[in-house]
Amino acid sequence: MASNKKVLLKVIILGDSSVGKTSLMNQYVNRKFSNQYKATIGADFLTKEVTIDDRTVTMQIWDTAGQERFQSLGVAFYRGADCCVLVFDVTAPNTFKSLDSWRDEFLIQAAPREPDNFPFVLLGNKVDLEPRAISAKRAQQWCQSKNDIPYFETSAKEGLNVEQAFLAIAKNALAQQNQTVDLYNEFPDQIKLTNTQRPSNGSDSCAC
Amino acid sequence: MADSSLYQQYLQDLKSTVEGLLVAQVANVWSIYGGLNRLYFCLEKIFKHGCKNPSSDGYFFNFIQGLEWLQPDTSKAYFSLDCEYRSHVPAHLKNDKSNIWLYRSLESHSLFVKLSWLLIDDTHLHSCYETWAFLCQKQYADATLICLRAVEKNQATYLSEIDPRLFLKNVNSKHLIKHHKRSSSFPDNHFKYMSRQQKRSDLKDIPDNSPIKGNVMGKLKPWSSLPALQLDCSRKPVKKVHFQSRTTPNTPMNTRKISPSMFKIDYKSSPTPKSSLKKPNIINNTHIIEYTPPLSSEEYSSPGTSVEKPRRFLSNPLTAIDRLLPRQGEKDYSRYQPKSFIEDAGMSILPMSTGQDYFPKPLKGQSLSSYLASTQLSHSKAELDKENAHFSVSEAIIAAMEKLKCRYKDLGYLNNLLTSESDSDDQGEGLVSELKQRIRLRRGQRIIENRLLFGDNRTDTTTTVSPNSTPADSISYCTSSEEVDDLEIDEANNLKENQGLSISMASLYSDADILKKPRGVPDGSSEVATTALDILSAEGVALSLISKFNEEHLPKASDLEWLISEEEVPQALLPLPKSWPVSSDDHEGGSSTPLRGTRDWAPPRPQIVLTLLPSPSRKELMEKQKFKCAGCGMTVAAQYAKKFRYCNYLGKYFCTGCHRNQVALIPARILYKWDFHRYPVSTFSFKLLEQMYSDPLFQIFELNKDIRKFSRNLEFVRKYRQGLCYLKEYIITCRFAETVQERLERDLPSYFLTKPDEYSIDDLVNIKNGDLKTKLKFLVDICLRHTSECKLCLARGHICEICNVNEVIFPWQMRAVTRCKSCSACFHLKCWNTTCPRCERKIKRKENSNVIN
Repeated sequence: MASNKKVLLKVIILGDSSVGKTSLMNQYVNRKFSNQYKATIGADFLTKEVTIDDRTVTMQIWDTAGQERFQSLGVAFYRGADCCVLVFDVTAPNTFKSLDSWRDEFLIQAAPREPDNFPFVLLGNKVDLEPRAISAKRAQQWCQSKNDIPYFETSAKEGLNVEQAFLAIAKNALAQQNQTVDLYNEFPDQIKLTNTQRPSNGSDSCAC
Repeated sequence: MADSSLYQQYLQDLKSTVEGLLVAQVANVWSIYGGLNRLYFCLEKIFKHGCKNPSSDGYFFNFIQGLEWLQPDTSKAYFSLDCEYRSHVPAHLKNDKSNIWLYRSLESHSLFVKLSWLLIDDTHLHSCYETWAFLCQKQYADATLICLRAVEKNQATYLSEIDPRLFLKNVNSKHLIKHHKRSSSFPDNHFKYMSRQQKRSDLKDIPDNSPIKGNVMGKLKPWSSLPALQLDCSRKPVKKVHFQSRTTPNTPMNTRKISPSMFKIDYKSSPTPKSSLKKPNIINNTHIIEYTPPLSSEEYSSPGTSVEKPRRFLSNPLTAIDRLLPRQGEKDYSRYQPKSFIEDAGMSILPMSTGQDYFPKPLKGQSLSSYLASTQLSHSKAELDKENAHFSVSEAIIAAMEKLKCRYKDLGYLNNLLTSESDSDDQGEGLVSELKQRIRLRRGQRIIENRLLFGDNRTDTTTTVSPNSTPADSISYCTSSEEVDDLEIDEANNLKENQGLSISMASLYSDADILKKPRGVPDGSSEVATTALDILSAEGVALSLISKFNEEHLPKASDLEWLISEEEVPQALLPLPKSWPVSSDDHEGGSSTPLRGTRDWAPPRPQIVLTLLPSPSRKELMEKQKFKCAGCGMTVAAQYAKKFRYCNYLGKYFCTGCHRNQVALIPARILYKWDFHRYPVSTFSFKLLEQMYSDPLFQIFELNKDIRKFSRNLEFVRKYRQGLCYLKEYIITCRFAETVQERLERDLPSYFLTKPDEYSIDDLVNIKNGDLKTKLKFLVDICLRHTSECKLCLARGHICEICNVNEVIFPWQMRAVTRCKSCSACFHLKCWNTTCPRCERKIKRKENSNVIN
């Protein structure tokens, strides 16, 4: 695959307020964790380079606001997402219950080509805490019902499984990447005049 | 010929002519009568001096013709134009082209440039001029150029650049350094003495450090440029004189207020010299400071707060409004933050300045006299307060006296107890001594009384002062109150009637008291002191009363027990009714709401008046007001009612004390008539309006639905404010928008971004003059620019769910975009169809989850 273009993977992290979305991202990107809670306003992103199958890609991870009051800001960044991470708190059952609505909302607003095949990843966070309210099995069941999406149990505080989770996310995103319409690609494709490698929309074979 | 004196003379002529022209400092230097001609003549001499080969066209025409090729900018054409005769040029120059040129160049202020060009080329110069010509002498030519420049720039300071050596007889003197500048404030005789001293002194005398035997004449003003004058200990005559003084102005650098004793310079305190190494300082300049008397007695006011509340400092002092408003001095707002209307509901605006805590509490352990003399008491300006002060102060004095009496009665009792065992002789003696004292007292009183009767007959009923009484010795502190009372009753009655003065008061005044400066005011401040602590004020009287007493015997001010203490009856106005606005006029039918004031009158209340007042009918209103001033309640006779003044804010008539014809903007008139004229208002209204000037009190579009008809700016501002509110959500939360955030914070009042419907009078004024429109436009522009370019802001935009087009929309695109009120989602206006799909989903989900649960 002599692809010269830079690959940008867009990942959205969704979930209820204070399940640990920002902490997960922080742990993954900066290897840091802070106990102090600070509500995310609107949305913000961080980038990280990862190597997948001997390929270096840039992951643009979007951290969203779980709180309702920040919804005056839009979610245009959903568009062009390559993967969506759903996070819930294993000690808070409500956060698990709202997963469905998060998933549905995302699919409606991001409007991916194939909503049924869109890559999601489920993360059950805060496994370091007791008592646990949602068992792994229950989560697994949910995952299976949603087209068998991967499930990871993580602890942002202890860094448990965070790396693996994001790696899986990246892989899923990469697979999806070929089919996305990305509005805000930071690194626009190089225009090749011959034998274009441009990710086609499937059917088109014309180079222009 | 080659005579430097001739050069000097020419130059001197030129220079003095130029000086004469510039000294008047007029805008156009040629407007000085005959100035141009005089200058022309000077220059003509210079140009002609030593000129070779005068041509037929003009004396020095050859020379100036060089301009044709020397000055690159001008072409031949311009040069010949310059030599053309014009009507205003003096007739005798008609035939001489060079003279015409000179005249016209001089007049048009272009001679400097032209001459500079001409002088650059030496060969040309020397081909036209002899070597001894004026213009060939470089320094003099330069000096000429300097003079020309000074004239052209109309600045005399350029003349200082002329090398003074040019004026000297012996130009080659080695004694002087090049950059000597004369300083006019330099005392000449100083050097005379200096040099004399040089010849006489030897090393031993010098440490004396009194070089001139104290005969320094003139006030030495400190300059930073003139270092400490030092005595050169070496025997050699003074060669180098170091003074790198600039021409410093005449004002002294430091005007510290110091006592005159500082001015006496202690010469001996200068450091002792190791004479060979260190030169002794004769006068260290930094110690010399010109004495200036204190500027005003305000410097001496105590750090305690001034009772009169400062006027609110307008937020935008440079607007045209302020030029019309009576200028107010800036008060010290660091200590006394004036509150806006919103903050305290106008409660700080008080009519007649009553009710403020005029009467301060004495500090702990403060002695009575210092308490009375404290400027806190005396700072009130209101007459009413001054009169009220008598009550409080006399209460203080009475309490003090009583305490004293108690104390000594106790002591006397103790004494009696102790001496009671003694024999009866003592008792008799006690009685005798008592009587003696009585007699003494009576005698003293008589003297006073006589003097009073023959003293100044002042008929005013205020406390009068006896100029001649000297009761100081005769009345020491009283042993018993009864004696004093006796005297009062017996002798004082006629006095009371004649002079309106209670005898105890009169008796206690003395010459010394009258002439003595009131306590607490330091020397040096003469004028204002008396007003600060007037002999006739309550405090003054009280002080005089207690001055007879030994300070130690008097109780401390903090120990006094007030008859009615401040806590029991706090000096505050009764509270306003808070339920609904009640007009103080509506007393018919015996309204049950207890208001301040009497049945007929109540002081004005701080209200926001939004009604357009009808044209006042003096007769009607005055009758309604029962001929009382609305501000102070003073009743006026019907024939003087025409003197009362109408307040265009409150719609009532005020006396001239409460209404000083101050003019102010009236909110109601602005709102309903777009009338920005200033109308006369009472002082109370003025203060109130000033206080609410910047407060966002008016939802103008609600108050007057048609207000947008008055000005297009209004609609513009309304839209832009709304837009800015939407924009701020994005800007404030965007980490890349720091500069924009700062701008918004700095340039806008806080309510602009949170409450887009509210306006203040300040805002309305700025709408009218267009400032607000400009400001908003600018701010919105920078916000828009940011959001359209910033990745983060774009990512946080909205996408219309209904049509699903990949186009980012924002809430401020109000022409194309609409927003759901509950969930804030944005949609295209075209797509919008009454209901928000997102809210619907939410509702459904809730229902479902409820069902499940």
